[in-house]
Amino acid sequence: MAVETVKTENSDVGTGKTWVDYIQKDLPEHLEWWPYTLGAIPLTLFGILVTTGLLLTFYYVPASDQAYESVDRITHEIYLGWFVRGLHKTSVDLMILFLLFHVIRVFMTRAYQSGGELKWVSGSIVLFVTLAMGFTGYSLVYDNVSYWGMTVVTNMVGTLPIIGRPLLHLLRGGEEVSGVTLLRLYDLHTKLLPVLLGGLALGHVVTVRLLGFTTVPGSREYHQFYPEHTMKMGAVAVGLLLFMVDLVMIFPPVLGPPANLQEVASDVSPPWYFSAPFMWISLLPGPMALWSLMAGAGLFVLYPFVDRVLAERGWPMTFINGAVAATAVGAMVVLMYLDLQG
Amino acid sequence: MAIIHDDVGRRRFLSQAVMGFGMVFGMGALGLRFLQFLLPNGAPRQPETVLIGSESRIPLGEAVPMDLGGQKILVLRTDEGVAAFSRRCTDLGCLVSWNRERGQFICPCHQGTFDKTGLNVSGPPPRPLDRLDIVKRGDQLYVNVKSA
Ligand code: FES
Repeated sequence: MAVETVKTENSDVGTGKTWVDYIQKDLPEHLEWWPYTLGAIPLTLFGILVTTGLLLTFYYVPASDQAYESVDRITHEIYLGWFVRGLHKTSVDLMILFLLFHVIRVFMTRAYQSGGELKWVSGSIVLFVTLAMGFTGYSLVYDNVSYWGMTVVTNMVGTLPIIGRPLLHLLRGGEEVSGVTLLRLYDLHTKLLPVLLGGLALGHVVTVRLLGFTTVPGSREYHQFYPEHTMKMGAVAVGLLLFMVDLVMIFPPVLGPPANLQEVASDVSPPWYFSAPFMWISLLPGPMALWSLMAGAGLFVLYPFVDRVLAERGWPMTFINGAVAATAVGAMVVLMYLDLQG
Repeated sequence: MAIIHDDVGRRRFLSQAVMGFGMVFGMGALGLRFLQFLLPNGAPRQPETVLIGSESRIPLGEAVPMDLGGQKILVLRTDEGVAAFSRRCTDLGCLVSWNRERGQFICPCHQGTFDKTGLNVSGPPPRPLDRLDIVKRGDQLYVNVKSA
């Protein structure tokens, strides 16, 4: 699916169009292809997450002596509690999965070039905030895995130079992981991060609409955003919801043993989307792991600029991107496999 | 380069600059105070000597876990004597356990291992386990909490 891209369509910024014009603006015909609706899926999932999350806050108690019991009650006693929690959990898994697909699609088609940098950078921040949501979310369960996960991750933050220690204290609200930490992560998960994520996602979509879609040679503009593309996205959203209902019923949410401050969980494996970096941390000695992860993340955000510099020197970027994507996905799969074995 | 001779322009620039500076300063101070509000002000723990009991309480080749006011330690007794280690793994802070068969401390989080002197032998941990001083008075053992 390596599509050769040439340029981004002309920017519409400051041409005095109304928002109705933007909604009705025609899209390049290649957007008819289903993979180009991949961005709509995370957006749908975000909607489901907000809805189910709101429901969960009515029963969840963010205190270290009641958090686990309240999750237990939601899962086993409250009417359809298991279903709401399951939908919430499944949405996160799928949201991150589809964000990754979306990233790979954009990366392979090099849709971030010339003028699309802002789209890429805003999108990658959306990805990182979503991962932060994943981490804070699974900490709230306060079972043994999430308690030690909190300990490990906050400690990792603490090893950063200069800002590390203050940031660790800020996250933990003290020297140790405690009820204050739980409350802080709860506030991040239910207030600060969702608002940030909503704003960023909206900003990302608006940026894409304003800067325009990447054009593909020979792709004329005739595919209508409304109703054609919108209908298609709607169909995807409904299909997705049905698929998820099935998923939740087949794999209802489970709950591990409660947090034990005296003994580390025997299996501390995090959710799948953290298992590759988790394995990476196990394999590399101390600070090296963190540094390489941070360097990787930085390179990821700035990739469009790297691409531009290399492309100017005549590097075959379409080929290189293919190789980079294959290596990255391959490495992730190998690390996840190692984690399953270990 | 044009030089501004206009007095009004200069005055306006100066007053705006002063106002802008004041505003930035004020906002900055406010933000800093809010940050301080969020940062815990934990007083550093005073070092103290805690009685952990008689030496015979600890079987040979065994490590007994203890919780001394929030600080989790392992007291290990070998042929060489008694030693106390912090259970906090020097990698990312999980709790290590003593494995009798292997004669090593094992961290379950990323498989860090330490030998019986607390030295890191394999896995990600960058340095040995923190060691606490043990004082012996008669048959009773005392440990210096926060001596690490
Ligand atoms: S926390 Fe002990 S090996 Fe990582």
